[in-house]
Amino acid sequence: MIKLENIHKSFGKMDVLKGIDLEVNKGDIISILGPSGSGKTTLLRCINFLEKANEGTITIDNLSLNVKTAAKKDIIALRKKTAMVFQSYNLFQHKTVLQNITEGLLVVQKKPVKEAKEIALELLKKVGLEHKADAYPSELSGGQQQRVGIARALALNPEVILFDEPTSALDPELVGEVLDVIRKIAKSGITMIIVTHEMNFAREVSSRIVFMDGGVVLEEAEPQIIFNTPKHERTKQFLKRLTPELTFDI
Amino acid sequence: MSSFFDIGYVFEAIPKLLSYLHITIEILVLSIFFGLILGIIIAVPRLYKIPILKQIATLYISFIRGTPILIQLFLIFYGLPFIVGMVGIDITRMDAFIFVVITYTLSNAAAFAEIFRAAIQSVDYGQAEAAQSIGMTSWQTFSRIVFPQALRVAFPNIASTSISSLKDTSLAFSIGVMDMMGRGDTLITATMNALEVYVALAIIYYVIVLLLEYGYKFIERYLNRYLVKEAI
Ligand SMILES: Nc1ncnc2c1ncn2[C@@H]1O[C@H](COP(=O)(O)OP(=O)(O)OP(=O)(O)O)[C@@H](O)[C@H]1O
Ligand SMILES: [Mg+2]
Repeated sequence: MIKLENIHKSFGKMDVLKGIDLEVNKGDIISILGPSGSGKTTLLRCINFLEKANEGTITIDNLSLNVKTAAKKDIIALRKKTAMVFQSYNLFQHKTVLQNITEGLLVVQKKPVKEAKEIALELLKKVGLEHKADAYPSELSGGQQQRVGIARALALNPEVILFDEPTSALDPELVGEVLDVIRKIAKSGITMIIVTHEMNFAREVSSRIVFMDGGVVLEEAEPQIIFNTPKHERTKQFLKRLTPELTFDI
Repeated sequence: MSSFFDIGYVFEAIPKLLSYLHITIEILVLSIFFGLILGIIIAVPRLYKIPILKQIATLYISFIRGTPILIQLFLIFYGLPFIVGMVGIDITRMDAFIFVVITYTLSNAAAFAEIFRAAIQSVDYGQAEAAQSIGMTSWQTFSRIVFPQALRVAFPNIASTSISSLKDTSLAFSIGVMDMMGRGDTLITATMNALEVYVALAIIYYVIVLLLEYGYKFIERYLNRYLVKEAI
């Protein structure tokens, strides 16, 4: 279980997150939607302390951290419970596909080499890239790199995987293969929080949708509710603009 | 005194000079080794914008860059015993070789600091974030993700600095270190075959540089292994 309470974050004088509360149950798939600049990326990055929030509490399982007082070792403990898939993949360029996945297993989880390799190969099979185990990231397409990114995140068996627009850097013809992989792992019961602009995808995989605007959560509901009967004007406008076929009136 | 160029003497001089090659190599290896360590230390305040230390590092680097190595050599040779003498330690009898190693270390460190800083900054920060996001510590992130890639960027510059440094070691004899150059000087005094000795020295230095460049190319190829072939 993940619980965010009253998360505030500002950059200089600009308040980007203005008190976010969010509860995510085990196995939930949460999609965060919202206009550009609404703070979606910042929120994800605050969860694993890539961005240090100014105020608030982050709880994952039995580990509860007040962002103001969290010590370095608490932050690392929390990061071990999370994994992130980045918009720009961020694969380790000097390591092979296999090594990208084993890195965390060996260095963070201190697993023996043989076991780490087995886990990595298993996951590569899952994302359809076992034949690329010895390739370097620079030899892969964007879609393939992102699938490695997903395998790297899965390897650590985290409590939650955070996705920040995993397909928005991809050429349109490569988006499908990555979404397919995410769909597949969504079925395996792992908790996910996904920031995305892929409306149809969000609608289909999410157990809940969170709509953010201006640093607050405007509304939060099951996909069929958000997409059919959104409450807020802002939500309606946003959804209508991205998916013109929606039927509600503004 | 021979009035014409004696090619035979060139070949006669080469083995005599080579018997002092180890001094040159020792100066080079030690000053590069310590220079790399000191260079990383000097790069840190500028990378992490540590106040005061950052300004000191900047000043240090600009001073070393802005002064001839020969002058630095004399400054250390005469100045260091003076400074250390003020706290009551007498190093005036210390081997000149050590002063040379200190000078070249200080000089290389300044060059390496700048090379490392630029190289570390060139590594995409997203990868460091990816490492931290899976729970790697700052040190693990630096040593396993950032540094190996920075090394690739830095290596060609480290290599060329080390080659200039090799050539600069020929100045060591000006404070009395008996290296190849020093030995050459004594041969000239004894035989008056100045040109032959200098030709022999030129050949030796040139061959060493060629060998180093050849070796560096292999290392570079290894460090570049993960780049797409066209991009190299
Ligand atoms: N490191 C930073 N320094 C200063 N301002 C920042 C920083 N990161 C984000 N911001 C600002 O915070 C606001 C929210 O940014 P954020 O990236 O969280 O939005 P987003 O909802 O993810 O948008 P998008 O859909 O475009 O990715 C923006 O105005 C952005 O300019
Ligand atoms: Mg974003």
